[in-house]
Amino acid sequence: MLHKLKSVRILLSIGLLLSIIITAYSAYYKIKYWGFNLTPKQKTAVWTVEAHVSFTPTGENIKVSIARPSPSKEFKVLNEDVLAKNYDISETNERILLSSPAHRKRQNIYYRVLLYDNIEGRGKTPAEEPDKIIQPILDEQSLNVANQILEMSETQKGDTVQKIIHLFNQTPPDETVQSFMPERSSDKDTAEVIINLLALKNISARMVRGIKLLEEKKTFVPDIMIEAYMDKMWKIYDIYSGKKGLPDDFVIFQRGGQSMFDVTGGQNSSIKYSVMKSLRSSFNLAGHRAKLANQSENFGYSIYSLPLNQQNAIKWLMIFPLAILVVVIMRNVIGISTMGTFTPMLIAMSLVETGFWSGLICFSLIIGIGVIIRAALSKLNLLLVPRISAVVILVILIIQILAVIGYNWDWSIASSALFFPIIITAWIIERASITWEEEGSINAIKQIIYSILVAIVTYFVIVNDYIRHIMFAFNELNLVILFIVMLLGTYTGYRFTELMRFASLAQKEK
Amino acid sequence: MFKWFPEIVFPSQLRAAGVLGMNARNYDIIAHNNKRRLYPLVDDKVQTKALANKIGINTPRLIGVIEVQNKVDNFLELVKNFDEFVIKPAHGSGGKGVLVIKKYTDKEFVTASEKVLSYNEVYQHISNILSGLYSLGGQYDVAIIEEMVHFSNQFQDYSFQGIPDVRVIVYQGYPAMAMMRLATRESSGRANLHQGAVGVGIDIQTGKAISAVQHNRPISIHPDTGANLMGLQVPLWREHLEIAVKGYDMTGLGYLGADIVLDKFRGPMMLELNARPGLAIQIANNRGIRNILKNIHNNYPRGLDWEERLNYVLGVAKS
Repeated sequence: MLHKLKSVRILLSIGLLLSIIITAYSAYYKIKYWGFNLTPKQKTAVWTVEAHVSFTPTGENIKVSIARPSPSKEFKVLNEDVLAKNYDISETNERILLSSPAHRKRQNIYYRVLLYDNIEGRGKTPAEEPDKIIQPILDEQSLNVANQILEMSETQKGDTVQKIIHLFNQTPPDETVQSFMPERSSDKDTAEVIINLLALKNISARMVRGIKLLEEKKTFVPDIMIEAYMDKMWKIYDIYSGKKGLPDDFVIFQRGGQSMFDVTGGQNSSIKYSVMKSLRSSFNLAGHRAKLANQSENFGYSIYSLPLNQQNAIKWLMIFPLAILVVVIMRNVIGISTMGTFTPMLIAMSLVETGFWSGLICFSLIIGIGVIIRAALSKLNLLLVPRISAVVILVILIIQILAVIGYNWDWSIASSALFFPIIITAWIIERASITWEEEGSINAIKQIIYSILVAIVTYFVIVNDYIRHIMFAFNELNLVILFIVMLLGTYTGYRFTELMRFASLAQKEK
Repeated sequence: MFKWFPEIVFPSQLRAAGVLGMNARNYDIIAHNNKRRLYPLVDDKVQTKALANKIGINTPRLIGVIEVQNKVDNFLELVKNFDEFVIKPAHGSGGKGVLVIKKYTDKEFVTASEKVLSYNEVYQHISNILSGLYSLGGQYDVAIIEEMVHFSNQFQDYSFQGIPDVRVIVYQGYPAMAMMRLATRESSGRANLHQGAVGVGIDIQTGKAISAVQHNRPISIHPDTGANLMGLQVPLWREHLEIAVKGYDMTGLGYLGADIVLDKFRGPMMLELNARPGLAIQIANNRGIRNILKNIHNNYPRGLDWEERLNYVLGVAKS
């Protein structure tokens, strides 16, 4: 007898251990290849950057090259496409190349790239050796001014690069500095001057062009930052604030002096960038991530590849095992007896939909009204099945009335009536009134209170966003729960309530 | 009756006292001793009664069985030769749905607790039984009408209205523990401990009271009648045990509870058998049952007939 119990437990414990290992591995796999999060960060921003190149052909063969963001660095490229009729398209790591014979009309080429945050890649810009520093060619006067500026920069804060950047962004601007800059200087000019000054100090620097991701942004000029090679690493700086490091919202299209786009065989060319932000659920992106990681085959057979409405249904289902675990613990370990085994669980599920207080008040209201009407019904001496059916219909009527009242008075407590399971509610009313008649009001109220208590506990477990996310994202956890539940099925220790119930028996042993 | 700060003890204390918990009862005792297929024998009182009569166990005489709704109207016809009768569901438990009529005319029915019911109310009650209101799991049921048990005078002072009964736990054929359940005003004539009936632990060898509890607290006098509970001695104790022990042979259930009442004229009678007897009996006896069951399992002889087992149990005391 005892021997058998032990072997069952060992078997189940092995199962539990295996299921934990499987879950742990799959969690690792999902986080690594599918980009799942441990926290319910459900939406990932997807940025659409569109570069619109337009030019008037000159009648020669046309060649266009557009800088493209380098993949697998700070942002991952979700999708990339080029809209260019009658062009041959080829691509290199850094640029999109288009070519075609001559055209007549003004040409419009669209290059669109969808990007999303690449969490893993952030801050790991590879540091290739810089080319030899090209010293700027300056006349004597300019050189003097340059040296003067460099001297002045020593009073600024930060490292060498930051000192110079700060100097250029003083308000009001320093006269000496201004004299060194061309009139009406653009970001590009500023960056070039700073790079030249750094060259004088033997620091290799380069311009970084890209797009700062701002919602609904439209611009003709790319945003510019400066990268300097110091301590064997490329460090990136904001040219206004001097802040070090790549901002979260900056996509690098191109590094070094090359242009963002080149057109040969065209004139009056322009490029216009527009940025659009859209939110997608991270589960949606998981498929793309899987594809990028060459893991799409496994993904195809997971629940995350299902249509969204089915995913939502499954997300709801994934909560059940946890709720069941709560019920099992409440009954077999704590020892609270409730009306119907899974009734509290179903009430808890309804509470999730209705919100806690409004749901609880509404439910008590339905049960209260139901029990009163049921008491009146019992005078009619109906047969059991018609009577319970009558209670079901009554519950439906009560729910309707509450819903109408709730809508008209804008009273959410009453509106939440719609979410309660009708049959379950009817049975609770029926059981409550029978218990009331047979075992007295105290026992009936006790049972209802215990049921609601278990429902409340279950509610607080399943309402937690974090827990729901974990249960859905790492659905193998249900296997773990399965084995825990089965192991609890072999629990032969005392229930918590028995420690009170049998308290009088323990005493004399002392 | 309601304690705001219930006492809590450590599990180790209960283990030391040999208290059997609900989980252990279900897993270690019931699952290993009671085969599922034997349950219908005790869950259906019609079957139980037939089996009992075959093996020679006294039960309240069967007046009739009502199986379908359109026969409900016949019940007066069935009971016409009896002055009093009991209606109960065949699949009921814990005394649920039991209606005791001690006096009646065509229109009025007087219950054991002096309540007067109309014909319609009794009709309704039977029809409720048939629709499964009182049965385990709510399936359709049949109503049993049987002779009323005549309250033995010996217990007059010990019970308020209801009939006291003796519950004996039989383990692997041997009586392990016994208690008597006495109705109180609070339990409104019922013998259910959780409704406030008094539980009196009865010594297996002698049939004498050991201890008594109401609502899990020790008492020594009956709260309504004031009778000294410690002076309680169940008459015809051996005959009581005989019924309990035979219950094992009759059903094959290794762990069962036999509910026995003492009739003034016919002696001890078996009311029903229970395949899942509760654990409150430990509280009434102020003693854990676990070690008793273990002792029976490990040390008591196997393969004896009911008489030998009964003698063995009663003999253990003498030696």
